[in-house]
Amino acid sequence: MSPERRTAWAFLAPSLVLIAIFRIAPLIWGAQLSLTDARGITPGAFIGLENYRELAFDPAFRDSISNTILLIATLPVWVCFPLLLAILIHQGVPGGRFYRATYFFPAILSSVIVGSIFNTLLRRDGAVNAALKLVGIAPTDWLGSSHTALLSLIAVQLWATFGMSLLIFLAGLSTVPQDMIEAARLDGARLRHLVWFIIIPALRPIIEFVAVVTTIGILTSMFGLIYVLTAGGPGTSTTLPEFLIWLELGKLNRPGYAAAISMVLFALMAGLAWAQIRIMQRNADV
Amino acid sequence: MSKRLLSIPMALIALSCLYPLFFALNNALKTNKEDILNRFGLATSPTFENFTQAWTRSHLSDYFLNSVTATVGAVLLLMLLASMAGFALAILRFPLRHLVFIAILASLMIPVQVVLVPFYKTVIAFGLLNTRIGLILSYTAFFLPFSIYLMTSFYAGLPRELTEAARIDGARFWQVWWFVMLPLGKPALITLGILNALYCWNDVLISLLVLQDKRTLMVGIAALRGEYTTNIPLLSAGIVLAALPIVAIYLIFQRQIVNGIATGAVKG
Amino acid sequence: MKYLFAATLALMGSTAMAEELTVWDWKSGDPAAASYIAAAKTAFEAAHPGVTVNFVMQPNDQYYTLLGTALSSGSGPDVFLMNGGAQAKARFGALTDLTAEAKGLAGLPEFSDGAVVHALPITIQGFVVYYNKKLYADAGLDPAKPPTTWDELKKVCEAIKAKGAAPCFAMGNKEGFGAEFFVSSLAASMLTADEQAAFAKGELKWSSPKMKAILQAFVDTKDWGWYEDGANSTAKFMDEYEMFMRGEGANTIGLLSDVAHWKQFGDMMGAENIGAFRHPAPDAVTLAADGGPMMPLAGGIGYGVNKAGKNVALATDLVKTLADAGPIAAFAKDAGILPANPAVDTSSMSSPTLTTILPWTTSAAAPMAHANASAAELEALHQQSQLLLNGETTVDKAAAALDEVQAKAHAG
Repeated sequence: MSPERRTAWAFLAPSLVLIAIFRIAPLIWGAQLSLTDARGITPGAFIGLENYRELAFDPAFRDSISNTILLIATLPVWVCFPLLLAILIHQGVPGGRFYRATYFFPAILSSVIVGSIFNTLLRRDGAVNAALKLVGIAPTDWLGSSHTALLSLIAVQLWATFGMSLLIFLAGLSTVPQDMIEAARLDGARLRHLVWFIIIPALRPIIEFVAVVTTIGILTSMFGLIYVLTAGGPGTSTTLPEFLIWLELGKLNRPGYAAAISMVLFALMAGLAWAQIRIMQRNADV
Repeated sequence: MSKRLLSIPMALIALSCLYPLFFALNNALKTNKEDILNRFGLATSPTFENFTQAWTRSHLSDYFLNSVTATVGAVLLLMLLASMAGFALAILRFPLRHLVFIAILASLMIPVQVVLVPFYKTVIAFGLLNTRIGLILSYTAFFLPFSIYLMTSFYAGLPRELTEAARIDGARFWQVWWFVMLPLGKPALITLGILNALYCWNDVLISLLVLQDKRTLMVGIAALRGEYTTNIPLLSAGIVLAALPIVAIYLIFQRQIVNGIATGAVKG
Repeated sequence: MKYLFAATLALMGSTAMAEELTVWDWKSGDPAAASYIAAAKTAFEAAHPGVTVNFVMQPNDQYYTLLGTALSSGSGPDVFLMNGGAQAKARFGALTDLTAEAKGLAGLPEFSDGAVVHALPITIQGFVVYYNKKLYADAGLDPAKPPTTWDELKKVCEAIKAKGAAPCFAMGNKEGFGAEFFVSSLAASMLTADEQAAFAKGELKWSSPKMKAILQAFVDTKDWGWYEDGANSTAKFMDEYEMFMRGEGANTIGLLSDVAHWKQFGDMMGAENIGAFRHPAPDAVTLAADGGPMMPLAGGIGYGVNKAGKNVALATDLVKTLADAGPIAAFAKDAGILPANPAVDTSSMSSPTLTTILPWTTSAAAPMAHANASAAELEALHQQSQLLLNGETTVDKAAAALDEVQAKAHAG
């Protein structure tokens, strides 16, 4: 084996062992569970793809998938908003250091605190409606109406977590060679040209990373806010697969069925991530 | 001039981000009754009773050490392993490289909820239940895919000449990693450290499963939410206490994510 | 490495041999439960020298997920707390038989499968309507005479609505609990004992005239303007009750034990400012001894013994202590719970409202319909009730959707 290969495997080995034991093996175990009718604490018998067939006809699951599609459609905002702020801070907007310090704070606090603030702000008689009334807009029950609940939830989660993507972008921006930027500046390039032709191409792997990680994040870590803000309702309008898994596991005691939902969620995320990576790499080759 | 104009929305966002801290601190100073009757008002007669109660009677002081051990242990391990693996995947050429990368990416997408039961059984099988080392290894395993992916993306974005220059100078591969990539990776490693510290520190589910007797801080705080009622002032006090270390770490280390590398300096 | 693990394991095993019992709950850290837990712990450890009891309070939102994970892996605590009804029933397979210890306790149906009792109930839970006497007086109503029939309740709400100071009922339906409480409160008087039993077995359908009438009443009361706008974004626990305590609702369907009850409302609003009545229903068929409506009543929370525990006999003794009259008296006094054990001395609990309520627990008790429904039906009820409040579905459609879930839940 060449030294390059030897080094590579030696460097990867500890990580691969940990991931195989604690992540991959349980996944295979979970896939097995999804083929059983496990209920409560009984292990359950093998029932083939019955759980998946049931899923196809489960209205709550179908609603959760259409909610997911809407959620995914907002992905560009999740990536562009922190990217834009990171570039502005990187390019030395006045007060940039202060913004860099504060934008991360919502991410630090528990969803309980964030939730109880927005619960009250978004109420029918809350501050948001009071402000809208001043400009003549009729009040809306943001979290209680099927039309606005999911979008409100998305907005709150975006606000609460954009600081993390911002931080990653800032780290990525530090790899953009400063002399290139300076040279372009001297040639009289405007900021948007700078962003489009130098910063974004140099940042491509990081943008891809943030897009993939954000996709996974919004599909697997919104439980805290859903639980506090809407509890999946009204109806099923804010029920996401992740919440459904919790419901089936913790409340309805059906681990087999919950495992089947998890497998679908896993496949969905893998598909999305694959598509994102393909799109980005194609763009890069052009 | 357009930059000045941008300052207004940016400052507004900054204000909104500061508000929750103020909200938590303000509520932590109230009594439960005052909070129910007036949640958004200023604390009229501030009391530190909630902090003492959270710290002593709710045993958060006992849990604090468990959280520190698990977080520090896992974050250091993560930084080391992720930097090594990221270097291997982004810089070195070897067969199955793509496959390994895809496997790691795939493991990133496994929802924690799905693996609860099998994961728990694995922890028991290795005799790691109720051990701190078990929690450190679990955290490392759970946050490794994300960390490796970040380091790989970061290293992939660095100009290739950096490695090649070092190789031409006769450095071995591990020396390239140690002397070139580790120092260059500092911004990403610090970002990784901050994010992983946040994930580990705020985690409830994994530590709930692994440490069932000696709890971590966030589990203790999550347990403060009752079946029906939540004593918001007490919870706020707990959350403020728990957030302080993370705020401090963030404020200290985010300065290290400096703007821009000077490629020339490294080459020379 | 392997030896190290084995050694750790052996070490952990041997400390456990020094007789330690672990109890999981979501209550032991609550200040209101502190003296109860301390009393039970002291009494048990005194009777069993060398044994320590370790109460571990788990986060409520992940409690059953955690418990299910541990139990299905053959581990978990020696003793655990659970809510009566669907959550307890899902865990009967992991619990020992406590029938012999259950003699004389109330609230057993929620913790037994007819023949075998699997957990000992600690509290009794039930629903009554609490009202704000000042808001009644302001609306020209007699605070000493709460409504006893559906027509009287309608008149009360008309008067309160005409006054316009606050909605008639504070209503929180974010988690669907508002609908749950409403359904059980009306079913108590609208269903016969046989119909209640049929409903529990899934034989009385949601599309039957009786159940549809209850859903219709829910929609009617909304249309009559009994509730505030935005009930679907208001959490019953505790937004709704906080509204009531701030005087932003004349009535609220509250509990008998734990929170949102005579004690909490009395402490916050002044005991003389609140009163209670049993929720009237349209077309009531089951009436209490005094001719008034019935009150839904059920076992609240209870402790059971994990079959897979290391020392089941010792754990059984611990559950007996936890259900014993002595420790529970402290719980009753501090938290204001109604004990399932009739031997508990409740003389320390004095509240004019409680004095009104207590006799009803024997004279007007009816089954708590929703607690006997399957967990899947309750989830569907939560969703459908929100759509009903938003006017996004009809009673017929909601009943049909509930029928489907009910049929499936009781099929397998």
